[in-house]
Amino acid sequence: MTEPTLPAQEQPSLDARLEQANRQLLQSEKLAAIGQLAAGVAHEINNPVGYVYSNLQTLENYLNDLFRLTDAIGTSGSLEDLRQIRDNIDYNYLREDLRDLLAESREGIERVKTIISAMKDFSHIEEEEFRLADLHRGIETTLNVVNNELKYKAEVVREFGDVPQVECILSQINQVVMNLLINAAHAIEEFGRITLRTRLADEQVILEVEDTGRGIEQEHLNRIFEPFFTTKGIGKGTGLGLSLSFNIIKKHNGEIEVHSQPGKGTLFRISLPVTQPSEPLVPAQDKEKPI
Amino acid sequence: MIRIQLVDDEPNILNSLRRLLRRDGWQVDTFSDVEEALDGLLQHDYAVIVTDYKMPMADGVTYLKFAKQKQPDAIRLVLTGHGNNEAMAKAIHQAEVYRYLTKPWDDHEVIATISSAVELYQLQKDNRKLRNENQALRAMVKARDEELLRLEADIPGITRIRRDADGSVLLDDDASYPG
Repeated sequence: MTEPTLPAQEQPSLDARLEQANRQLLQSEKLAAIGQLAAGVAHEINNPVGYVYSNLQTLENYLNDLFRLTDAIGTSGSLEDLRQIRDNIDYNYLREDLRDLLAESREGIERVKTIISAMKDFSHIEEEEFRLADLHRGIETTLNVVNNELKYKAEVVREFGDVPQVECILSQINQVVMNLLINAAHAIEEFGRITLRTRLADEQVILEVEDTGRGIEQEHLNRIFEPFFTTKGIGKGTGLGLSLSFNIIKKHNGEIEVHSQPGKGTLFRISLPVTQPSEPLVPAQDKEKPI
Repeated sequence: MIRIQLVDDEPNILNSLRRLLRRDGWQVDTFSDVEEALDGLLQHDYAVIVTDYKMPMADGVTYLKFAKQKQPDAIRLVLTGHGNNEAMAKAIHQAEVYRYLTKPWDDHEVIATISSAVELYQLQKDNRKLRNENQALRAMVKARDEELLRLEADIPGITRIRRDADGSVLLDDDASYPG
C-alpha cells in the first residue's frame, strides 16, 4: 500500500529485510514447536531407555548364572554336578529368554535412534534449497517426532497414493505437516482418527490431513491463517503455526485449503506442484501475502 | 500364591518387568490392553496392581479407580514417565495409590517397592483374618454367656459348682433338679 511513496532504491532493501524477518519468524516458530515437542519426546524415549536399562541388568544376572555353569566345568567332578547346576539356573528359560531380551533391547535402541534422527531431520533449519524429495518419508519422520502427541489421541490412518518425488524444501513441508497433525490432535477431545492422504492430480501432489475432531467454527474459518490467531489456551499455541504453514506452501507455489464441519472434523488439503517453475523462490513473490 | 498385575501399553516394558520379578516367586500377569486387564480383575485376586500412568484409551489413574472398586484389597502402584508431581498427587488422592515408580526405573527400587506392597497386602489380609476370627470368637463367648444367664435365671445356682477340699463336686441333698 505504501509502495508508491517509497524511493525506488529502498524497495530492494525492504524486501530483503522482510525476507529476513520471515525467516527468523519461521525459525522461532520451529524452535517453539520443537520445545513443545521436547517434553513429549523425552517421555517417548523414557520407555525404551527404561526397559533396555533394566534388561541389561537382567542380562548381567543371566551371564553370572551361565558363568557358574561354565566355571564348574573346570572344578566339578562329574557330569551330574553340571546337570544339577544347569537345572538350578533354569538354563532352558535363560536360553529362551536371552533371545527375546536381546531382540527387545535392540528394538528399544532402534526406537531411540529413530526418534533422535527424526528430531535432527526436523531441526535442519538452514536447509533452504529446493530439491526432489519423498513426501512419504517426510511424513513418516514427522509422525515419529509427534508420535507422543498423537498416540493417546488418535489412530493414524495412512492412505498413501502413488506419488512422484516433489521439488520442495522437505524440512519446511515437514513443519507444515507437523502443525496440521498437532492441530488435529488438539481438536480431538477423547480418541479419534487422523487420516493422511496423498495422491497425484494434474501434476500436483495433493496431501490431506483429516481429523475427527471438534471442527472449526464458521466465524473462525477465515481467520485461521492469520498470524497470532489462536483458539488454544495460553501456552498451548503460538497462533503462528497455520500462518507460517500458509507462507511455506505459498513459497512452494502451492495451495492450502480447509474444510471443516463443527462437531464432525476438519480436512486440510495441500496441493504442491511436482516441479517448481523454472525461476523458483524470488522474494518479490511474497508481496501478495506478507506476514 | 501372590499374584501381581502389570498394565502398560508397551509390551517390552512388561517383558522387562516380568524378567525382573521372576525370581521372587510371584505369579506375574501382564496386560498391554486395559480392557483385558479389567477382565483379568474378574478372574484372579491380585495382591499388587502396577499400571503405567499414560496409556491410550484410559489413563492409569482411571484404571486404578476401577481396579479399586473391583479389588479394594489390592495395593495400587503407578509407573510414570512424567516428573509431574501435580498429576501424581491427583493419582494418589483419587485412586489411593500406595507409591509411584518413575521410568526409567531402578531395578532394586522396583523390587523393594513391590515387595513392600506385597507385605502390606499380606499384613492387611492377616489383620482382616484375625479380626474376623476375633469377632467369631467374641460372638461364641457372648452366646455362651447368654445361655448361662438364661439357665441361671431358670434355675438359680445351676451354673455354680461347689467343691469340697479334695475337689469333689458337691451335690445339694435338698436340690430338686428336674429329671
